[in-house]
Amino acid sequence: MDTEVEHIYASDLMSDVLAFGKPHSLLLTGLATRQSIISAHMAEFVGVVLLRGKVPKDGAEKFAREHRLVLLSTNLDMYDACVRIHAIRKRQRATPPAKPVEQSKEEILLSREFSIQGGDFANAGMVSTEVKSILKKIGLDPLLIRRVAISTYEGEMNVVMHARRGQATLRVTPQMIEVIIEDEGKGIPDVELAMQEGFTTATEEMRALGFGSGMGLPNIKNNSDEMEIESEVGQGTTLRMRFFIK
Amino acid sequence: MTVKELIENMGLKPLSQFDDREITGVFVSDMLSDVMAGAQSGNLWVTVQTHKSIVPAANLVDVSAIIISSGKEVPRETIELATKHNIAILWSELPTFELVGKLYSLGLATG
Repeated sequence: MDTEVEHIYASDLMSDVLAFGKPHSLLLTGLATRQSIISAHMAEFVGVVLLRGKVPKDGAEKFAREHRLVLLSTNLDMYDACVRIHAIRKRQRATPPAKPVEQSKEEILLSREFSIQGGDFANAGMVSTEVKSILKKIGLDPLLIRRVAISTYEGEMNVVMHARRGQATLRVTPQMIEVIIEDEGKGIPDVELAMQEGFTTATEEMRALGFGSGMGLPNIKNNSDEMEIESEVGQGTTLRMRFFIK
Repeated sequence: MTVKELIENMGLKPLSQFDDREITGVFVSDMLSDVMAGAQSGNLWVTVQTHKSIVPAANLVDVSAIIISSGKEVPRETIELATKHNIAILWSELPTFELVGKLYSLGLATG
């Protein structure tokens, strides 16, 4: 998984990471426990580099995979690793990359990622609950939050019901809230048909729990300002929803 | 009418811990997407579904309380999650039809 690293934070003290680490940092640490991965996740880091050839311990690897954190290992010690990264940065500064104009125009106030596990009905709805509480903290209009919450819930449920796993991305700019839900799963053969009210491919078991009444996608359409679905059968589906802040 | 007044009026059994609030109306469904589409903020939600996922659903559409009808047993994890999110779960032995009839006679309506 490729991802942009914005900062580097080198420390073995996890409370320092939580206190001073900036989002989208990469953590350099000699601590190979699960706790350092959890701390990196809490601080919204992109990943962790284990120094001095350390091997991840007590489920560190599993946690990193589940939360889509980059987990790397190197034989370098902290000093050498820092020096090497400094050298890369010097080279980059010499030739600054041309930034696309559009990207700099759109100011991202908040960006968060969540993973969704297919088939995990017990935790269904937890991601959208988290999204709702984040938006509430920002202090957005309750009716707007409600529309985002409902749409995200339906998107999350689709992953739980029909995919192996998925990822939800919440992005807030001054103009809009964007929720993107990507999954690895069976995909939708006929999107137009899937958009029809009452159309469902849910199993009897799912329906007995009250899921899969064929109202999910129509609910998203009714609650979002813009909605796009891209799907490839056997690969997965990407759902993009946008909600404009007036 | 508030949730606590309703509990006294109808003899409902509160299962979770919650803050009292005003009831705006009633919505009855066992399909979660139906609730997402139709329930209004502050509505009572009457259902026989008892699994944990009813709590996030109730939280997202901002219902004032979930009423479990027909004496369905509610798992402890559902109750714990409801308390965590300040969602009222009320319990009744009455079948949905009778329960809804009583709510109606109290002057509660859809919406």
